[in-house]
Amino acid sequence: MKPEHKTNSITKISLTVKPDRISLFSSLLGQGFTLKIRTGISIRDLLCRQIGVSDDYLDQRIQTIFLNGKVVDNIDTAVIRQGSTLALSAAMPGLAGAVLRRGGAYAAMRSQISHKNNIVDDSAENGTVMLKLFNLVALELGPLFLNQGIWIDGKNLENFFQRVPDFFWDGCLTAEIDGTSQDVRKISLMEWKQKQVFLKLK
Amino acid sequence: MDKILRINMGDENGPKASKEPLGDYAGLGGRGMTSAIISKEVPPLCHPLGKDNKLVIAPGLLSGSHAAQSGRASVGCKSPLTGGIKEANVGGQGAQVLARLGYAAVVLEGKPGDDTLYKVVINKDGVEITPDNSLKMMGNYDLVDKIKAEYGDKVACISIGQAGEMKMAAASVAFTDMEQRPTRHAGRGGVGAVMGAKGVKVIILDDTGMPTRSPKDPEKFKAANKEFVQGLKKHPITGEGLPSFGTNILTNVINEAGALPTHNFKTGRFDGAGNISGETQSETMKARGGMVAHGCHKGCVIRCSGIYNDKDGNFFTKRPEYETVWAHGGNCGIDDMDAIAELDRMDDDYGLDTIEMGATIGVAMEAGLAQFGDAKAAINFLKEVGKGTPLGRILGSGAAVTGKVFGVERVPVVKGQALPAYDPRSVQGMGVTYATSTMGADHTAGYAVTANILNVGGSVDPLKPEGQVELSRNLQIATAAIDATGMCLFIAFAVLDQPETFNALVDMISAFTGQNLTADDVTELGKTILSFERDFNSRAGFTAKDDRLPDFFKAEALPPHNVIFEVKDEDLDQVYNW
Repeated sequence: MKPEHKTNSITKISLTVKPDRISLFSSLLGQGFTLKIRTGISIRDLLCRQIGVSDDYLDQRIQTIFLNGKVVDNIDTAVIRQGSTLALSAAMPGLAGAVLRRGGAYAAMRSQISHKNNIVDDSAENGTVMLKLFNLVALELGPLFLNQGIWIDGKNLENFFQRVPDFFWDGCLTAEIDGTSQDVRKISLMEWKQKQVFLKLK
Repeated sequence: MDKILRINMGDENGPKASKEPLGDYAGLGGRGMTSAIISKEVPPLCHPLGKDNKLVIAPGLLSGSHAAQSGRASVGCKSPLTGGIKEANVGGQGAQVLARLGYAAVVLEGKPGDDTLYKVVINKDGVEITPDNSLKMMGNYDLVDKIKAEYGDKVACISIGQAGEMKMAAASVAFTDMEQRPTRHAGRGGVGAVMGAKGVKVIILDDTGMPTRSPKDPEKFKAANKEFVQGLKKHPITGEGLPSFGTNILTNVINEAGALPTHNFKTGRFDGAGNISGETQSETMKARGGMVAHGCHKGCVIRCSGIYNDKDGNFFTKRPEYETVWAHGGNCGIDDMDAIAELDRMDDDYGLDTIEMGATIGVAMEAGLAQFGDAKAAINFLKEVGKGTPLGRILGSGAAVTGKVFGVERVPVVKGQALPAYDPRSVQGMGVTYATSTMGADHTAGYAVTANILNVGGSVDPLKPEGQVELSRNLQIATAAIDATGMCLFIAFAVLDQPETFNALVDMISAFTGQNLTADDVTELGKTILSFERDFNSRAGFTAKDDRLPDFFKAEALPPHNVIFEVKDEDLDQVYNW
């Protein structure tokens, strides 16, 4: 029987991994993680003013954006609300990539799933957003978030630990759970029933 | 590339090869060549497996040269799957080698009088056609190993597996890659069944002693090619995204858009998408010592293919592409990447279209033959196909036939061909192309996002209701033209975003052909090809009612966005009004 962590006792995992293993977290980042933020603001304000992504990176690199599954064309008018899900991707290949691209020439081909613009108001307040990072954006922004620490679904973490190749564990140097050192290999055998786990890379 | 090779498999004295000048087909390549020959020479009402059908294999206009990304070939015929004209596009080494041998097309005609199986060897000295029944019912992998042992590791093979021999409507034609593996396939429309009907198991191409094709203006060509390559390498999609994640980079994104057809097009999101995404796939490949960036033919600088090893680090299959991962993955509820890789390998070995087979298995699951998510059942279904059992014969006939046999209403096909990996309710403009393409549902029929640069068909106001029809029309015209060049369609983004890369492409084609190509020329070429195809289909009995999506796309709202396909029939009927 696998060891199981009680909901009220363990919530924080801290790992030290070799730099070339960090890219393995891309699949986890793509499934989404929660950030505590000020809501009621635009996507640009969230990413550039709160999180620290540069305007150039947002404008040049993040070419495909979804807010609650709808394709965003205008990052200055699409508003992040409490509980929103925001997904970020680089430009994608093929016609589908062109169609989903923000403000692209073929945006009309997916108008049924385009995000309708909101108006930014003065109702900013504390809240949470689910952020998903895909492909090149996950590789490039992933370390930023992982070093700060992210809240993730325990089921996703368990799935990640079960599926990650041995190569990952070979490069995972230390592990702490709620401040206590753990055998790295044992982590992969544990069950993570908590709804949310705080994961941080040292 | 100044001649056409015709092989009459039905000659009374046995198969007979003859060479002829290009004649009326001069200046055509790839899809332009295949569709012109089929439209002109094949009786539209003939049986696709009969003596009157022809299988045409044509390299692109630039194939065999040093032009980057020019290794695409077209395989054309009257399709056993759709009953209409077919062009299936494929990478691998075949186009380059065939072009260097000087052939603008190889045409298989007639039909042998018995079930003898033949191999065809084409080299600088000529053509040899010999019976070889020892090849019967060999999978493509064993077949190519046997050819390699006999002819060496430099030849390229164009072959069929068991599915083609059994003349299944989902059968593909395999082209070997740079490592001489049969991983690249002219997949769509059952072209492998037509090759099987001609009694040809494998065409062996040996270009030893043949030079690379020379451009008319070498200096201009060299400079333009260099600029073109630099453009591809510096663009984030062709220089970073595709080499890092392959086409499967799309899984997470299409899933997030709610456009990933799941459980036989019931929903637009798959819970297991993360497990089979390009990101996960690449990390698995790296950890097993596979290769993430890898070209499917010499001269490819995008390198979206890859090597997928098994758990022991041995080659298993090429990187399964996005459409394959979708078809055998989300569409069937399977989130096990190794199982999908096994299905991909089996498809390549038996010689089957991965899209058609994934869609077919989805229909079979809908019919209750297995549960969605049952990877073992999916693998067993393919084994049935490979063995040619009664069930396998049904499944190998494609989604439409399987749906009829098992009484399934939700069958995602247009003109008998399965829809690919983008739900048309979410991406409605793509649905227009699915519905109206001369090929049946085909995601590459309107793929060339260069259409607006080329100003194909004039400027478009995407805000107008008819804008989606107009966009689809222009995309289909531009794509038909690009398919004639032998260029990989993945060049599209770099060409779209970087004017200097677009100019380099135009300069390269002009320098090679000695003609000053204009956007109007490209438009006319695309329209001409589509006109050939449309005319053939019309004479084969196709009408406006065939340019429709299945009813369920208009009736069943697709979660999570709960959208239906809204483009009106009368608008669809305007696509070919230019």
